[in-house]
Amino acid sequence: MLLVYLLISILAGITVVIARIINSNLAEKIGTLQGTLINYIVGLTFSFLFMFISNETFKITYTNMKVIPFWAYFGGLAGVVIIVLSNYITPRISSFYITLLIFIGQLFIGIIIDYFIIHNLSIGKLLGGLLVLIGLTYNLWIDKKAVTEGI
Amino acid sequence: MPANSSAQNYYAQKTRAGMRSNMNINRFLSILTGAIVSVMILFNGTLSNALGNFNSSIIIHFVGLISIIFVLLISKSKFKLHKGIPFYLYSAGAIGVFTVVLTNVSFTTLGVSLTLAIGLLGQSVFSIFIDHFGLMGMKIVKFNKKKYTGLFIIAFGILVMSIY
Repeated sequence: MLLVYLLISILAGITVVIARIINSNLAEKIGTLQGTLINYIVGLTFSFLFMFISNETFKITYTNMKVIPFWAYFGGLAGVVIIVLSNYITPRISSFYITLLIFIGQLFIGIIIDYFIIHNLSIGKLLGGLLVLIGLTYNLWIDKKAVTEGI
Repeated sequence: MPANSSAQNYYAQKTRAGMRSNMNINRFLSILTGAIVSVMILFNGTLSNALGNFNSSIIIHFVGLISIIFVLLISKSKFKLHKGIPFYLYSAGAIGVFTVVLTNVSFTTLGVSLTLAIGLLGQSVFSIFIDHFGLMGMKIVKFNKKKYTGLFIIAFGILVMSIY
């Protein structure tokens, strides 16, 4: 059963890579912010499409929405902030550090969130997270060496 | 040295101390970006638990659309419609919907950190695959077998995260 969720997360990672490549190709032609605009327009359209195809009923009503904590609505804004920040940082540090530091930020805050919101803290998360970080660092370092040695 | 602030700023930036503080700010911003990703997964996941995945995707993209329009207006960017942009370049938006939907599903059961770790594994393996064959216009970077070690460590780390 848990295997399904493993596959789902892996698939999510794959979509991230695909979208990132396509977005950078688009940004080359019309600019990053402009590409992002196209992104959200297309994404919004497909969201409607998927919703009507799916079994979900349309739930965006006042009664449904007022019981939701206000901060839950800010995900879309967070996405744009991430894009703007990434744009700013990318020319300023090597992608080795960016990838590493972004992951450290994700993991650190992710573990804290899991503790406070889902009440889930284990040494396993911390140690396992550290291992993931080590593995990532090692692979990124191999890439870095390859670049500087001109392979 | 002229006593105006822009010249002083220039020299402040170019000294060792100035460059070190620039580096630190950029490093901090990188970590901050990662932190915001986690928070975003929490926000989106919470919304999807309440309203359903596809309903919440509509709201998420709508809020995002407003935000990027705001950013474009503030930065006074120009928007020109180019002819002859290949159709597939518009598909990233649709793929992004999948990202949101998939991470929402994963978040409900696995939480944030495990979702991120497994997602990272998927990203790493897939990137290696794309680079090896030079797909999607990326330049060919042949797979270095040493990377098996890193991937194995990542996978093992995920195992530890999920079991303990």
